[in-house]
Amino acid sequence: MDVELAEIRDFLAEHAPFDALPADVLDRLPARCTVSYARRGTVVLRPGDRGDRLYLVRSGAVDITDDGHLVDRVGAGGGFGMSALVEHVPTRYAATAREDTLLLELPQPDFDALVAEHPSVAVHFAATHHGRITAAIAQLQAPARGSAVLKTSVRDLLRVDPVSVAPSATVAEGARVMTEAGVSSLLVMDGAALLGIVTDRDLRRRVLAAGVAPDRPVQEVMTPDPVTLPAQALALEAMLEMTGRNIHHLPVVEDGRVLGLVTTTDLVRLERSNPVYVVADVQRQADVAGVVEQAARIPAVVGQLVREDASAADVGRVVAALTDALTRRLVVLAESALGPAPGRYAWAALGSAAREEQGLGGDQDHALVLADDADPSDPWWAALAERVTEGLEACGLPRCDGDVMATNPRWRLRVGGWRVQFGRWSDEPAPDAVLQAAIFYDMRAVHGDADLVEGLRAEVVPLGGRSDLLLAHLTAQAARMRPPIGFFRGFVLEDAGEHRDTLDLKRGIAAIVQLARVHALRARSTALGTGARLTAARDAGLIAAEAATDLTDALELLSYLRLRHQAAQVAAGEAPDNHLDPRRLGSLDRRHLRDAFAIVRAAQHGLSSRSPQVG
Amino acid sequence: MGLRGLLPGRRPRPTPGTALADLAEASAVDRGTPLAEVQLLALDLETTGLDPRRHEVLSVGHVPVVQGRIVLAQARHELVRPQGPVGESAVHHGLTDDRLAHGPDLALVLPGVLEALRTGGGEGVRPVRRVLLAHFAQIETAFLSAACRRLYGTEVPLQVVDTLTLAQRMLRVPTPELASGRLRLDACRRHYRLPRYRAHSALTDALACAELFLAQSAELAEQHGRPLRLGDVLAR
Repeated sequence: MDVELAEIRDFLAEHAPFDALPADVLDRLPARCTVSYARRGTVVLRPGDRGDRLYLVRSGAVDITDDGHLVDRVGAGGGFGMSALVEHVPTRYAATAREDTLLLELPQPDFDALVAEHPSVAVHFAATHHGRITAAIAQLQAPARGSAVLKTSVRDLLRVDPVSVAPSATVAEGARVMTEAGVSSLLVMDGAALLGIVTDRDLRRRVLAAGVAPDRPVQEVMTPDPVTLPAQALALEAMLEMTGRNIHHLPVVEDGRVLGLVTTTDLVRLERSNPVYVVADVQRQADVAGVVEQAARIPAVVGQLVREDASAADVGRVVAALTDALTRRLVVLAESALGPAPGRYAWAALGSAAREEQGLGGDQDHALVLADDADPSDPWWAALAERVTEGLEACGLPRCDGDVMATNPRWRLRVGGWRVQFGRWSDEPAPDAVLQAAIFYDMRAVHGDADLVEGLRAEVVPLGGRSDLLLAHLTAQAARMRPPIGFFRGFVLEDAGEHRDTLDLKRGIAAIVQLARVHALRARSTALGTGARLTAARDAGLIAAEAATDLTDALELLSYLRLRHQAAQVAAGEAPDNHLDPRRLGSLDRRHLRDAFAIVRAAQHGLSSRSPQVG
Repeated sequence: MGLRGLLPGRRPRPTPGTALADLAEASAVDRGTPLAEVQLLALDLETTGLDPRRHEVLSVGHVPVVQGRIVLAQARHELVRPQGPVGESAVHHGLTDDRLAHGPDLALVLPGVLEALRTGGGEGVRPVRRVLLAHFAQIETAFLSAACRRLYGTEVPLQVVDTLTLAQRMLRVPTPELASGRLRLDACRRHYRLPRYRAHSALTDALACAELFLAQSAELAEQHGRPLRLGDVLAR
């Protein structure tokens, strides 16, 4: 049958999940569809309607609402009506044409057959977000972990354009070019064609030792047709080639074009970006300037970890460990300058540093917890705080806007003082104080007497967990941080239907952090990490196991996308931030983000409907 | 043709058992019928020119509209082998003599079109005509009529909705200015922001016309402030 519905077929082929279907399945799909039209304002689906077809927006846009609240805005290529199809229940949502809309409809039996035969379609239209995002993370991160040489391609090692001369250049000219460029090897190129390579060692052995005149053409002393590597070769392969052939320079080619040169130094540097080396190097520094110098390596370490597909949770721990190392070294240097501390104390990290969930570009949050027999008015404490804070600032960690730092005398308290302070937050929390208080429930000793912090938390966490007022305020805070609904035509779609052109990942992350914090507090758990807090809340029966898993996955996804974004910014010489351009996100990332937002929103909804309310 | 066909003042009737006779048997649709209940057949013909006496049909595309929905499962597209060469007209439709060489004659394609112009009927249910839907429908009606006269010796009974006529009425354009481009199918679709079709074939154009009709009738219903009846959109 010569049914030419090529336009419909091509439309389907451009959009997920149909784009992944085999050609013959795609060919047959248009003839299963009907086409309908909805004038602007027309209600296509009403809550309670039995769904009997999948709707795909061919042109125009449709708003999906739940009890009047915008849940999604679907543009060309998007679908709706699937939840009723998948769950075989009447639809919860209303679908209203926002613009004049042409709809392609796939009847239930054909939809069922497609889902049954093609798992990718089933996953795409899965009724719940649960599982889908887990699968997404598995796709993002290769499960196998290994050393950098196994993960990095030589393309990623290339730094500068290769230095080259024409074959007719003299040896003396070649040596001059190498000296000026500060390189130890020189490519001999005829236009784009690689003819040979000359290294420092060649100049020594084939020129000086052999008594060749410096005015001879460089091509007489070069190594012709040198060994090259394709750009996608792994650093490991470069290492094997170099050791096997006893060479130190390998040109990297792609499509017959020389991209650059990999040297043994590059490979050594690659292994040195292992965070273990960085921590060890930080500990060896004798002054603040040395510590600052080592801190400059952190963005590269994170970039390397992202390339190695480490999970965001792992990267968060590594960044925390590196920040801890900087802090410890700065404290130790301050102690040796100021003399011994006038009492037992702990330097405590607060917020994301305490939870070990840091990204790049975060600021400093810390406090001092002094033993009850120490004197808080001793100027030594302020001097320590100022030195360390200044050092961290020089290391690229800006001071906290809210002055939540050990330099602030309010946050240099004895254990007893902290107990009073936490008691105030539990007993008479003014709404404004809550935002400030929340961060102190994330507290971890970095240096000094860790028992002081642990003992304090063991007392004040159950105290906060018993305070309905504090829990209500924290709950309200967690429910206020609304992540966007999703994306529409390259914009971020917000609650009220407005469009934004940047996506602030921090809002989604903060919402999950706040949810986990209030759940953990209610469970009276002293767990610090968001994942551990959610597990504690699950074990205490406060949230469903599925919700705990979903939120952990959503946090991982958001944090991972943030890290990937920040690593790219660092690589491009920009300052890392939390703002993504939605137009530069792939359709898959957009889908996964939508799922993550939906998980957060569902958890916020569950929290606010079950918790004590602020009056 | 029987004797009756020779009687003066009587219209000739099609030979029983032919596709045209079956179509003539099907009930016409009353002008007062709610549009939502009317079945239409969007039809497009690619031809070698505009004059059915000199030019030929090269391809036929059609797709029905049932209860306000375009039923792609019943979309059909046929190439027709012409008697003569396609000549310069290939520039417009892209159909070459080679591509058409293996197509059936119009005599073999026409019954399928006539069949699609009515519902199937069934036990005790009389088939009902589908209203022909086309953009600038004169071409389709003229070529269809000419073909029926030639092959069956009689007229084809047609009810017609023309999206061009509707566009003229709705945009209040006084004269059909085809050359101006303002009312060409593509331009009319752009007016409703319907997706742009890159390729042109008889079926694509039939589908494009059907989609345009859905958009036009939705707007018209809004203007009238009530559900449409067939009479509201019928060209003749």
